[in-house]
Amino acid sequence: MGQPAPDPKETQRHMSTSPAAVQQTVVDFLTLTAKMRDDFTPDMPLYAGGVGLDSLETAELSATLEDEHGSDPYSTGEMPQTLNEILAFYAAAPAEA
Amino acid sequence: MFELLHRVAQEEPGRVAVLTHTGSRTYADLAADARRVAVALRREDISRFAVVDHEAPVVVPLVAGAALAGVEICQYPPVDASEVADLLARFDHDVLVTDRSDLAGLGARVLSSSALIGGREGEVPEAPVSRPHLVLTTGTTGAPRGVRHDWSRLLRSSERVKPAAGERWLLAYGLHQFAGLQILLHVFAAGATLVAPAPRRPREGLAAMRALGVTHASATPTYWRFLLAEMRSDREGVPPLRQVTLGGEAIPGPLLGDLQQAFPDAAISQVYAASEFGSTGSVRDARPGLSTAVLDRGDDADVDMRIVDGELWIRSRTGMLGYHGEPAVDADGWRATGDRVEVEGDRIRFRGRTSEIINVGGVKVHPLPIEERVSAIPGVDMARVFGRPSAMTGAIVALEVVAAPDADPAALKAAIRAACADLAPAAQPRSIRFVDDIVTAGSKIVRRDIQ
Repeated sequence: MGQPAPDPKETQRHMSTSPAAVQQTVVDFLTLTAKMRDDFTPDMPLYAGGVGLDSLETAELSATLEDEHGSDPYSTGEMPQTLNEILAFYAAAPAEA
Repeated sequence: MFELLHRVAQEEPGRVAVLTHTGSRTYADLAADARRVAVALRREDISRFAVVDHEAPVVVPLVAGAALAGVEICQYPPVDASEVADLLARFDHDVLVTDRSDLAGLGARVLSSSALIGGREGEVPEAPVSRPHLVLTTGTTGAPRGVRHDWSRLLRSSERVKPAAGERWLLAYGLHQFAGLQILLHVFAAGATLVAPAPRRPREGLAAMRALGVTHASATPTYWRFLLAEMRSDREGVPPLRQVTLGGEAIPGPLLGDLQQAFPDAAISQVYAASEFGSTGSVRDARPGLSTAVLDRGDDADVDMRIVDGELWIRSRTGMLGYHGEPAVDADGWRATGDRVEVEGDRIRFRGRTSEIINVGGVKVHPLPIEERVSAIPGVDMARVFGRPSAMTGAIVALEVVAAPDADPAALKAAIRAACADLAPAAQPRSIRFVDDIVTAGSKIVRRDIQ
């Protein structure tokens, strides 16, 4: 089975579910996908009327959160509307690290 | 297969049939070993058995002896005792031939490989009309299946092999694989020499090419990619190959160019074969895919092909009789290959396995073109594309990458995203991970999610 090669930057926050680490993951993702807005706030809707993530981009965010933090709200059936709701998911869920 | 060994042994008993780092066996040696195996199998009243040994000097006499006696042999892959127990149950084997000491107590009667090979001489049994052989699939898409063959059909294609005593063929496949069996048949039909390093990984294959005078080598594209990476890494020289053959997986176009560049004096050939329908011959023009001339060749041809709804179908007189535990198939009838293809000009291009198609929100995505595109990016040694389950879209395209040693992961990830930006949104990799190695089974990339 393929073993992930270590990446020092990613290893530092890997599996951490602290609000700062999760927020950084989301911000990095939005930047990478050119969806980051200058007026982005944790209460801004992630989909239509806000950041504008489509279903595939949301699926990608879901996979990214799972890779970085061991779980993600989408895979448990939730549909968080904002960054704050993603942070609330990790605040309520026990860390899997 | 015994008849191939016997024929060369009659002509030139001392010709080397199998060469390893530790010794060699001549055609006369192997033919004699096979006769003793046949005698022992008859004496023990065995009708079918499994083998868990993997070195050519042991496996060849067991296979040839079983064929001579009309006894069905099935070689298992190199797995641990619990998996051997599973295979024994799955394929209803109650006799196990092995020299491994950890396989007693699995419920099967255990016979020693070396005892069978080194047994008493005796009257060679009359060759029966039915001479069954069972080959396990590699299980890249699930649990292995047992593919039932008969030697009368398996040997048909070897009748067309030209004598080539001076050739030395690398054994890059496991002998439990159908492709390994095909190499044996080709080498022994040609009266050539099999070079069999152990284990059969690219690193050991490269060492055998250099040390044991390999002239011809046949392997999967995945094996060749790894071997090229080994060559780039160790910089110890290019083996003087005369022929490079690829098969067992769809072949990315860029790899053909890479191999031609790496082995400038070698002819590049491709074979299209599978456990179910046997070998269909080779393509020697170093262009990706098959010629459309293989289509609709008519009833007289041993092998004929057609395309049905984007899938390649085949009719072969060298193919299987059916799967173990299932009703017999029409052995000479048409069968779907499971290979998705498209015609481009005068070529049939392979787009991946039907079972590997990724359904992304209802959009069907073929992994192979994405792998080809990513593999061509400087800094990418290997790539694997597969479907990763997603609560949002059912699946997303996931990508695993083995980066070159000096590659910067962040820059490489950006290059991958840029290279895939013009793909349809559903086909763009949504999960990119760097790994140290790629998951393979039988030197083939496993394109299913194994997380």
